[in-house]
Amino acid sequence: MSVPAANVLTTASTVPAAEVAGAGPGARGWLRSAEITIPGGIIVLLLFFCFIWPLVYPVPKPIGGSLLQVNLPLFAPGHIFGTDDVGNDIMSRILYGGRVSFEVAAGVQVIGLVVGGLLGMAAAYRGGWIEAVLMRILDVFIAFPSLVLVLAIADSLGPSEMHVIWALSAFSIPAFARVARAATLRLRDQPFVVAARLSGTKAWRIMFQHLVPNMAPQLLTFSLLGAGITILLEGGLDFLGYGIPPPTASWGNMIATGQQFISVYPDLVLVPSFFLLLTCICLNMMGDGLRARWGVR
Amino acid sequence: MSTSATVQPARWPGGAFLRRLASSPALRVSGRRLLSAIPVLWGVTLLAFLVMNALPGDAASALLGINATKAEIRAFSIKLHLNEPLWTRYGHWLAGVVTGNLGTSLASPQSVASILGQRLPVTLELVLFALIITLVVSVPVSVLCARRPGGVVDRLSLVLSMGSISIAPYVLALLAVIVFCVKWSVFPAIGYVPLSQGIGGNLHTMTLPSIILAVPLIGFYIRFLRADLVEQMQAEDYIVTARAKGVSEWRVLTRHALRNSFIGLLTVIGLNLATLIGATVIVEDIFSLPGIGYELLNAISNRNVPVVEGIVLVFGIAVVLANLLTDLLYGVLDPRIRHVRSRS
Repeated sequence: MSVPAANVLTTASTVPAAEVAGAGPGARGWLRSAEITIPGGIIVLLLFFCFIWPLVYPVPKPIGGSLLQVNLPLFAPGHIFGTDDVGNDIMSRILYGGRVSFEVAAGVQVIGLVVGGLLGMAAAYRGGWIEAVLMRILDVFIAFPSLVLVLAIADSLGPSEMHVIWALSAFSIPAFARVARAATLRLRDQPFVVAARLSGTKAWRIMFQHLVPNMAPQLLTFSLLGAGITILLEGGLDFLGYGIPPPTASWGNMIATGQQFISVYPDLVLVPSFFLLLTCICLNMMGDGLRARWGVR
Repeated sequence: MSTSATVQPARWPGGAFLRRLASSPALRVSGRRLLSAIPVLWGVTLLAFLVMNALPGDAASALLGINATKAEIRAFSIKLHLNEPLWTRYGHWLAGVVTGNLGTSLASPQSVASILGQRLPVTLELVLFALIITLVVSVPVSVLCARRPGGVVDRLSLVLSMGSISIAPYVLALLAVIVFCVKWSVFPAIGYVPLSQGIGGNLHTMTLPSIILAVPLIGFYIRFLRADLVEQMQAEDYIVTARAKGVSEWRVLTRHALRNSFIGLLTVIGLNLATLIGATVIVEDIFSLPGIGYELLNAISNRNVPVVEGIVLVFGIAVVLANLLTDLLYGVLDPRIRHVRSRS
C-alpha cells in the first residue's frame, strides 16, 4: 500500500460506508473501472429509491393496505410487485424495508469503525498491558457464539431498529478492533511514524494524522464487506423473530412472513430475496474492487 | 534449579525422554495456548451469565407459562435457587464446572452434560459434513480457475462464488426446500434420523442442511484459494524453479502451489469454524434438527441458564481447540514455521 495513494483517500474516510460509491467529486479517475462503478451505481440507485423517491413521488403506504386487494400478482396495475397477504403494496414495503437495511448496515459499520477502530488502534499503538487486556476481551467476544449475544440483546431491549443496531455492533466492534490493531502494528515501526515520534509529535496526532490515513483504505473496504454481512444478519434476526417487529417493513420479516405462503405465492419471498441478494452482491463487489484498486490485503 | 535439571537425566534415563517431551515446541505451544485459553473461557461464561441475567423474565415464569399465579412462580423460583443473588449463583455454577459438574437443566431433571451428549453429535456431524462438502467442491474448482486465470471457468466460478457468499442462508434454505422437498421430494423437509439407525436414512436427512451450510463457505474458499494460487504462480521463486526443472504446469500447480496454499486455507478454516457453528442455529431451526443450536434457541427463550452456559462453554472450547489445532498443523505443513518456533 503506497502512502500517497492512501493520503488522497483521507477526505473520503469520513463519508459513511454505503455512500462511497465512486461517484463523488474528485473521483473522476475511478469512473473508468466498471467493476466498482456498476455495483456502486446500483447501490446509489437503491439508496435514492429507498430514501428520496417516497418523498417526491406518491408511493402507496407500506402498511394498512386494502384487504380487497390481497395477493395481487406481479405487475398488477398500481402495484408493480403486487400486494402481500394483507393487501400492502410490495414495492413500497421493499423501499421502506430497504431503508431499514441500509440504516442498520450504516449504523453498525459506523459504530464498529469508530469504537472498534479507535480501541484497536490506541491499544496497539500503546502496547503493554492495555493491549494484552483488550486482546483477551476481544478473544472472549470472538469465542462467544455471537448469535447468543445478538438474540439476548434483541430480546432484552425489545424488538426495534435501534436495538438491532446495538445488537449487531457487538459483532462489528471486535472485528474492526482486530483489523485496526493489525494495521497499527504493521505501521507502528515504519520510518515515517518513527520520524514523527522522534520529532516530538504527540501520540494522538500521530494516530489521527499518520496512522488513520494509512489504514483508512483497509478499514473502508472492510466496512463495505461488513455492511453486506450486516444486512444478511439483520435479515436473519428478523427471520428468527428477534429483529424488526412485523407491521414495520423490513426485507427479513417480509421473507419470514412470505414463507408461509411460499408454495402458493412464491413472489412474496422471491422479491425481497432478490433485493437482499442484489444489495449484498453490490456491496461485496465494491469492497473487492476497492480492495484490489488500493492494493489492500 | 538448572543444575538439578542437568544432573537428573544422567541418573535416570527416563528423564531424558521426559525432558525432550517437555521441550518439544508443539507441546509447549499447546500448553501455553491452553493456559491462555482459560481466562478467555471464563470470560465467555461470565458474559453469558450476565447477558442471560439481563434478560427480562426468568426461568420460573417462562416455564410455568402465563397462567401461573405469583405464589406458584415464587415457590418454583425458590426451588430453582433463582432467589439467590447473582454472584452466589454464578459462584455455585463455576464451582460445579471446575469439579466437572455442568449442573442440571431448569426445565427437566436431565443433567446439562447428558443434554450436550445428545445434541452435540448432530451439530458436529452437520459441521463436519458441511466442511467436507466445501473442501471437495472448492479445492478442485479453484485449481481449475487458477490454471487459466481470466478463462471461462475462472469467470463463471467468480460470478457464482460472489453470488454464493451474498445469498442469505435462510433464503437459500427456503428455495431448496421448495425445489428439493416440495417439488421433487428428493429430501425430507424436516426431521432427523440418528446415525445409529442406519447411515442411509441419516445422510438422507443431513445432506440438504449441510449443503445449505456449505454454500457460502464454498464461495469464500474458492475466492481465497484461487487468489492465493494465482499469486503464487506469478511470483514465487520455487514455482520458477519447478518450471525451470521442466515440471509440467499442471504438476506445478497441484504439487507445489496447492500444497503451499493449504497453510492459508487452514487458517481460514480455523477462523471460520466459529461462524460455521453459529450458522448451524438458523439451519437447525429451519430443518428442525435436534442439534445444539436448536437447543440453544429453546434455552434462551426459557431462560434456562445452565443449558445456555453449557452450550456457550462448548462453543468456546471448540473455537479454542480449532485455533490450537490450526497453529499446530502449521508446523506440520510448513517446516519453516516449525524451525523458527523451535529456536525461539
